Amino acid sequence: MTPALRTALVIGGLLALAPLVLPIVHLDVSIVSEVLLFAIAAMSVNLLLGYTGLPAFGNAAFFGLGSYGAALSIKYAHVHFIEAVLVGTLAGLVGGLILGPFLLRRRGIYFGLLAIAFGQVFYFIAYRFTSVTGGEDGMNFARPYVGFPNVHFSLNEMSFYYVALAIYLGIVALFSVVAVSPFGRTLVAIRQNEVRVRYLGINTDRFIFVALLISSTIAGLGGAMFALLINFAYPLTLDWHQSGDFVLIMILGGAGTIWGPLVGATIFVIGKDIISTITPLWQIFLGALFIACVLGFPKGILGSIAAFRDRRALVGAASAPDAQTPLPRGTS
Amino acid sequence: MLEHLGPELFNGLVLGAFYAIVAIGLSLIMNLTGTINMAHGSFMTLAGYLAFAMISRGTSFWFALLVAPLLTVIVGVVVERTLIRPLYKREPFYSLLLTFGLSLVAEEVFHLIWGANGVPLSPPANLSGTVQLGFMSFPAYRLFIAGALVVAIVALALFLTRTRFGLRLRAAVQDTEMIAALGTNTQVLYMVNFGLGIFLAGIAGVLAAGLLGLSPTSGNALLMPAFVTVIIGGMGSLFGSIAGGLLIGFAISLTTLFIPAASEVSMYVLMAIVLMIRPRGLFGEEGIFG
Amino acid sequence: MVLLEATAIGKRFGGVIAVDDVSASVHEHSIHAVIGPNGAGKTTFFNTLSGFYFPDGGTVHFDGREITRMPNWQRVAAGMGRTFQTPSIFPELTVHENLQLGIWSQAGQAFRLRGGTRAQTQAVEARIDELLGFVNLASSRSRLVAELSHGSQRLCEIAMSLSTSPKIVLLDEPMAGLAEAETERIVGVIRDLRERLGLTVLFVEHNMRVVLSLADRITVMDRGRLLAEGTPNEISANEAVRDAYLGREVVDHV
Repeated sequence: MTPALRTALVIGGLLALAPLVLPIVHLDVSIVSEVLLFAIAAMSVNLLLGYTGLPAFGNAAFFGLGSYGAALSIKYAHVHFIEAVLVGTLAGLVGGLILGPFLLRRRGIYFGLLAIAFGQVFYFIAYRFTSVTGGEDGMNFARPYVGFPNVHFSLNEMSFYYVALAIYLGIVALFSVVAVSPFGRTLVAIRQNEVRVRYLGINTDRFIFVALLISSTIAGLGGAMFALLINFAYPLTLDWHQSGDFVLIMILGGAGTIWGPLVGATIFVIGKDIISTITPLWQIFLGALFIACVLGFPKGILGSIAAFRDRRALVGAASAPDAQTPLPRGTS
Repeated sequence: MLEHLGPELFNGLVLGAFYAIVAIGLSLIMNLTGTINMAHGSFMTLAGYLAFAMISRGTSFWFALLVAPLLTVIVGVVVERTLIRPLYKREPFYSLLLTFGLSLVAEEVFHLIWGANGVPLSPPANLSGTVQLGFMSFPAYRLFIAGALVVAIVALALFLTRTRFGLRLRAAVQDTEMIAALGTNTQVLYMVNFGLGIFLAGIAGVLAAGLLGLSPTSGNALLMPAFVTVIIGGMGSLFGSIAGGLLIGFAISLTTLFIPAASEVSMYVLMAIVLMIRPRGLFGEEGIFG
Repeated sequence: MVLLEATAIGKRFGGVIAVDDVSASVHEHSIHAVIGPNGAGKTTFFNTLSGFYFPDGGTVHFDGREITRMPNWQRVAAGMGRTFQTPSIFPELTVHENLQLGIWSQAGQAFRLRGGTRAQTQAVEARIDELLGFVNLASSRSRLVAELSHGSQRLCEIAMSLSTSPKIVLLDEPMAGLAEAETERIVGVIRDLRERLGLTVLFVEHNMRVVLSLADRITVMDRGRLLAEGTPNEISANEAVRDAYLGREVVDHV
């Protein structure tokens, strides 16, 4: 058994047992589901920013499209649970297909600027087309049954958690395979030195486009599950503030690491839950967290631990995008 | 409906001038240091609130219009020197993330001091009427804003093209190392450049407060159109920012007239069309990635 | 036979004309140098040939077809490899990993989302051994590229440019900033590129002694224009070149 697989089994096992200890710490199981779904969203950012070095500051667009894809299909087509998740996931993919051609032409901060600006278009659509989307108020719906040809059953919060866990671990498995594949190694190489990758005969645009589609699909899946968790879809899931949260979660946990997004999401979601009950000033804490994270530990928690333990462990898929080989900024 | 066309086009012009001036500030900062200043909207809001605080303590609007942006510049420069400067050597998205955090803190601080709801900042009485010009009458304050923004943009253009410092600034945008080699202190350039961007944001912030309202998030509402302006105009182009701002202003005002629900979406449609024809924006330059 | 032919290349940046009406023919199996004083536009000319950017005027033909506006990554598939003035490598990866990518690319495997079969992996490893043997870096196989000496980084980059099995290798100032001993290593490798691998080499270089002893043909540029083209003997005898660029004593020493 490889060390990576052992880590995965331990973490997977702990997550599977987590609901048992939650009553002791007065946490609801739905909050741990939220942790997993935010971790999924942060992984979608991780693929682009952590691995490939592209400032993916608009992934809330795909997440929100997933949410609305699920909500709209339930409200207007009365689909069941699995179908709603699939529609949401597909909505994320379609979002990637629409925005991808615009985003993949540029790099560096310009990519970030385009991601922020284009990401916001879906927010305004959801916000403005009130007759379909409910506008600012969002859309409520009842969580649909899981429907198979002969069996129908509903998901309570506990069973929902295990569905979310299965999806999360599935995506982790996907990342673990892709990260060491030629495709994944090429993405890391693009982050370090894109010009060189092109001079190895590789059309980097094509790799970035595929990475974007994988990222948007994963974000769509996370968003669809999030809407089904809270039985609600609302425009702020599409907003750039939401994108910022995803980037923060990823950086906080450790850019370019497999488990970083989970660590970041745990701190973010549970921290928000606890602080919000104490003071209404959560947003100041959040802003301070951004600043502290950037100035204090840009490699994130897992990145810093790995750097401390072993410099070599950081190499390749596991290091924060840092100053060593910045992409040509500004004019690129 | 067509009788509203004239006034709406004028509104578009005023709105476009706001977008242009905010976009120019963003573009200056982005070009020289690679920082996407997500807190730019917060600086606008800050200038608005400072002006509001001064006016409600009895100073004149004109005094506030000049001093509030200057105070905002001081805050901006302190932020740049202490928080953003350490990030210049790092990947640019770190400064994006940091200014994003700043904007979250700022929003909450405004909220705490001035409340969640908007506060009124009324323009001076002699600008509250309308002015009859030819066949149309214009609200005097809007006319004044249009004039003030044009003056600010022209002054900036003169500063960048006619003064020694402005020329150095533009040269530094091309090649920071060369300027350092010529003996110009790069850090001073960074600081002044940031201050200049914030000053423009401050002026826009005070003027906008009297027109579009003032609340903890009012500056951020102008930020997104300003990003779109930078993209449409082409990064680093002064002229592009002006053209882009006006295009968006007209696009928004016309859709407001005909399809109100699509008013924000229209600027994205415009952005998509421009990028399809010119991937680097209207006045952007060619680069390695195409 | 002419492998790479540039005809009347022009390139301007803003108002500055960097290259003006420069032509050059690089023959198969030759070692061709582009030289010129600072600001002569030789690197710009070189970059239009390798597709780093496109010329504003003129054409580039390679191996019988026009490639003037072919994207850089397609040129590699067509048989072109290049290095950069500042070694362009993946500093956080090992020498071994640096070479892997080009081999995957050439084998059409870079897009795979899963690891390779045993046979595929063995073929890649064998190719890496071959490349490292050629540039004499076998002992550094699993070291991080960032840890290597400047000269070894250059050699690693040359090996990378060979990993895609090119017909021609374009080297941008391969000796820049190297000590004498390291320069000798690179000179040896460049000779081997032709003698042992049968490749064609085009390089930009400052070091006059190296150019005159290594190249079969030399293109001399000055202020963006073509000054002369010929064999080392012709070039060192050329009055215009002597006036513009060569110190007499340097030429007399060769």
